[in-house]
Amino acid sequence: MPVFDLHTLIVVIAVAFGGGIVGLDRTAVGQLMLSQPIVVGPLTGWFLGDATAGMIVGAALELLWVLDMPVGTFVPADATIGAIAGTAIAVLGSGGRAGLDLVGFGILLTAGMVPLTMIVDGVVRKRNSRLVDEALSSTGENADHKLTCAHLKGLTFFFLKSFLLHLIFIPAGLLAVLLFTRMSAPFHDAMELFVKLLPLLGAAVVARKLSIETLDRFFLFGFILAAVMALLFHAPAGIIVLSVIAAGYFSALYRERHT
Amino acid sequence: MNTQNKYVHRSDFVRVFLRSFLIQASWSFERMQSLGFAYALQPVLKRLYPDTEEYRSRLNRHMEYFNTQPYLASFILGAVAHAEEDRAAGLGGASDASSMKNALMAPLGALGDSFFWGGLKPLVSVIGVTALLIGAWWAPLLFLLPYNIGHLWLRAGALVWGYRSAGDVVALMAHYPFMRMARRFKATCLAVLGGMLGMAPQWRPEFKTALHVPGVVTAFSGLVITVVLAAALRKGGSPVKLMLGLAAVSLALAFAGVGL
Repeated sequence: MPVFDLHTLIVVIAVAFGGGIVGLDRTAVGQLMLSQPIVVGPLTGWFLGDATAGMIVGAALELLWVLDMPVGTFVPADATIGAIAGTAIAVLGSGGRAGLDLVGFGILLTAGMVPLTMIVDGVVRKRNSRLVDEALSSTGENADHKLTCAHLKGLTFFFLKSFLLHLIFIPAGLLAVLLFTRMSAPFHDAMELFVKLLPLLGAAVVARKLSIETLDRFFLFGFILAAVMALLFHAPAGIIVLSVIAAGYFSALYRERHT
Repeated sequence: MNTQNKYVHRSDFVRVFLRSFLIQASWSFERMQSLGFAYALQPVLKRLYPDTEEYRSRLNRHMEYFNTQPYLASFILGAVAHAEEDRAAGLGGASDASSMKNALMAPLGALGDSFFWGGLKPLVSVIGVTALLIGAWWAPLLFLLPYNIGHLWLRAGALVWGYRSAGDVVALMAHYPFMRMARRFKATCLAVLGGMLGMAPQWRPEFKTALHVPGVVTAFSGLVITVVLAAALRKGGSPVKLMLGLAAVSLALAFAGVGL
């Protein structure tokens, strides 16, 4: 399969551009959560013709990074780039319909991307310090216009960061896919198993960050309730989810009033 | 000093609200949201200080260090608009708005981080992922809609509250019980997370084991693996390290011929 033909190149640039725009939502514009893996994964997959691959990537990465919070000077991992690049690598590398092994491989590559995204994000934020000086040094009638320009220049830097990182990560990932496709069957089986285990890792990350107990009582309560409803009563999934939400919320209320 | 009474117009608030979405456009380590705060406040300052020199001096004043939770920054913007209005009418000192910003940004930052980043976001995220795992293609909407309806309502409400209460954070907390709601959301999130694992037999085929085992075994083995991973994280593992570890374990199992 020709990985680096003109069509792929155009698609990679389009994905990188879209990634740059939607990546602004992480810090620079709005924080409407459009940049979360659960949104950008399926969107990228849909754009490339394989929404299922994007959904798998989104579901796998969302919980891993959802509690990586931008508090103080901490720069969280850029899960947006991970979700977009991971999906694009899997779909483009497969030529349209990504198998589970390739999706797993795409997700695995994001583990290497995360530290790099944090470093580059740090560089951009350091560079932005000059924008304040630029705005403060401006005098005369145009002072407020210069403030606006300096401030909005930050958008360009944040956009370029995401755009360029996508332009590097996706082609590099596609090269890695060329190697992966030549690997023996156990490597492919391993990546399928890896995908199946990732939601459990995501659940562990969230449980670890939200509770000081290894086996939190709300966590255990939700598990037992859902398992009983699903396995004993064969209740529809939607009803189970709603029941667990309601039960969790009212248990929290009960705890509040009785402790 | 301007002794003439001047008021901020409703249209100015709309512009401040819209500009508050860009408060982090030039976020930097040194001054964080300082430039964004001044940018968002520009319409108010322009209205209150027709004199160019005074306007510029107030604008520069608001370029000092500023950092808070971006959604609740709108409360401080409303409060500072009130303080600037008083100052323009000759009722407040030059440092009122600055000291108010300094006093409010840290507590509101902690409040907003705990409520939005630590409560609401993980809750809707876990609900969305659960929906994805059981095969709902509209799961991203299930994540986006409740989150944004809630957060936009609070963001707009906080701007109005900040202005009307002149920065009374106690009044804000009485109206919006952030800490209590954050605790409830965290508990609910953990329950849904457990529920997600309890529903493992109903997950999409891509996430289900290929082994023909009873549903109860699938659910319990998922729970055990999650608890083991959580314990590993507690011992100092990071998500990236554990991802690589899982890939290594998967590889070992695949080479050993164990198909799961």
